[in-house]
Amino acid sequence: MLPIPHKRWQANNTINPVLKGGTFFILLILLLAGACILSVASGAVYIGPAELFGILCHKAGIGTSVLFTEQQENVLWIIRLPRLLMALLIGGTLSVSGAAMQGMFRNPLADPGLIGISSSASTAAVLVIVLGARLFEGYQSVLGQYTLNTATFAGALLATLLIYRFSQQQGKTNVSIMLLAGIAMNALSGATTSCITLLATDQQLRSVTFWMMGSMGGATWINLAGILPFCLACIIGLPFFAKALNAFSLGESDAAYLGIRTERLKTAVMLLCAMGVGASVAVSGIIGFVGLVVPHIVRMVIGPEHRRLLAASAIGGASLLVLADLLSRTIAPPIEVPIGIITAMAGGPFFLYLLFREKKKTVLL
Amino acid sequence: MLHIRDISYQVQDRLLLQQVNAAIRPGALTALMGSNGAGKSTLLRIISGELKPTGGSISWNGRALAHWNIKELAKTRAVLRQHYNVQMPFSAFDIVAMGRYPHFRHKLTDQCRMVIGKVAAYTGIEQLLDRNYLTLSGGEQQRVQLARVLAQVWDTPSDHKLILLDEPVSALDIHYQHQLLALAKGLTSASFTVVAVLHDLNLAMQYADDVLLLKKGRTIGFAAKEEALNADRIYRTFGVQAALHQPDNYPHPFITVCPVHQQYQHLNH
Repeated sequence: MLPIPHKRWQANNTINPVLKGGTFFILLILLLAGACILSVASGAVYIGPAELFGILCHKAGIGTSVLFTEQQENVLWIIRLPRLLMALLIGGTLSVSGAAMQGMFRNPLADPGLIGISSSASTAAVLVIVLGARLFEGYQSVLGQYTLNTATFAGALLATLLIYRFSQQQGKTNVSIMLLAGIAMNALSGATTSCITLLATDQQLRSVTFWMMGSMGGATWINLAGILPFCLACIIGLPFFAKALNAFSLGESDAAYLGIRTERLKTAVMLLCAMGVGASVAVSGIIGFVGLVVPHIVRMVIGPEHRRLLAASAIGGASLLVLADLLSRTIAPPIEVPIGIITAMAGGPFFLYLLFREKKKTVLL
Repeated sequence: MLHIRDISYQVQDRLLLQQVNAAIRPGALTALMGSNGAGKSTLLRIISGELKPTGGSISWNGRALAHWNIKELAKTRAVLRQHYNVQMPFSAFDIVAMGRYPHFRHKLTDQCRMVIGKVAAYTGIEQLLDRNYLTLSGGEQQRVQLARVLAQVWDTPSDHKLILLDEPVSALDIHYQHQLLALAKGLTSASFTVVAVLHDLNLAMQYADDVLLLKKGRTIGFAAKEEALNADRIYRTFGVQAALHQPDNYPHPFITVCPVHQQYQHLNH
């Protein structure tokens, strides 16, 4: 028999834990709650936590003693609440799909924005807006919103498939090809979009420009309802593949040796990510780097195990986007700085820092 | 029991394996040997179920491999490769725990934790479990991977455990080569069946029980190691002149290979 001491392994197994997993989750949830309350409160009209509570109870038909003005009620209900919920939903979706995509590409640099998936989706959106305007009589209805979502989903899926096919080499991801193919996709989508905008009317041009920069300004209950099923499918669906994504990081054939149906995993992750990214682009345009920065920070704190990573990325991404949106509308009132500019300002240097670290660590490019 | 029957494998026009037959003994370490391109790794990948042979069949425990479902197979067969290209900073524990993935749905069970503790003890990586896998040395990484592979089949009923090693020591230094093969050899006494692609004749002589020699996809010989690794077969397999030396009080001969002079002489004038 083999020499085996009877000993059980029971230690906490987070890696170099800066924080224990549970504490980190509590902090994240506190951050999220704080960001939401702050975001609701700030702006031209002040709405404090008490008024927020009062209005919400009033809408639910419960009487409270909190006093609030009709203006506060309208601002909250028509402007701030849909916008807040949309930022939550999109932040969570982008981060979770970023994390899942990095798992599938077996590389921490895969980000929907960087590798051209968001821009392909936006090209599809612009196509629908400009060329399809007559067919759908505007996209500001739930049905129109679904059409737009479907188009962006198709654009995102096509880009994901292409990039994945290009970058896989003997079961490994060729990172340089992945990033270079991303440059090509971004250039191609940009050119196509510019080309289409030549055909656009002034009114359409305004929406197109908005797509290119990214903004939460268009949030309404209608387009919130439009993206809800897609985003939820992405946020709820992807964590089901957490275990498979962990195994996938060993290599594709090794995941198969562990009993994982790798083709099914790849198809599901690509579909769900394209769905989520497509829906986000459809209502808010290209918001880059969220899917890169959030999962990366989470990984540094609690490690790359996908069950925890995906959940924490969802909460972290939601908080980050709520704060970024808050910044975008309060930094220079009454002008709204597009949120894509803010995330790019923060994410660009972060990406350079990641490249710098990777360069020291391994041969990347 | 692992049966390899008339295995052929063809990619476009190239025949990589032709009519390979072998009945691998349970509880033995069988070495697959041959020069580069002989089809060793291809054969191993066919045995693992990753590649479908174009002719012939593999049967494992009396059932054709094609009839095994991928999840069932994962509980009885595990594969260790030469090198892993892990990019994410998993802990060694996370890596070993992946070996238990066929055995639990969402959360590690107590049984899984117990198995992980045992394989960690067996491979001597207990003190590495908390470390970042990416910061381990090559030899340590390979032992962590071995622990993962063992965890996958550890509590499967005996005689039903198949470990496939694809050039497991090629990237390791001498110390780790012997350490890893000694661990693999030790497994056979606990009724694991081990099949390993090896390059080094002396390592095979020291640790293997049986040897299957391949050349250009054909079997040169399949026998117990002393019988398979004689000078004649070594010449026919690798094209080198070998001599076997049997020191006193040593369990097996060791093999020296004469330098291949011929090509150099042609170059000289």
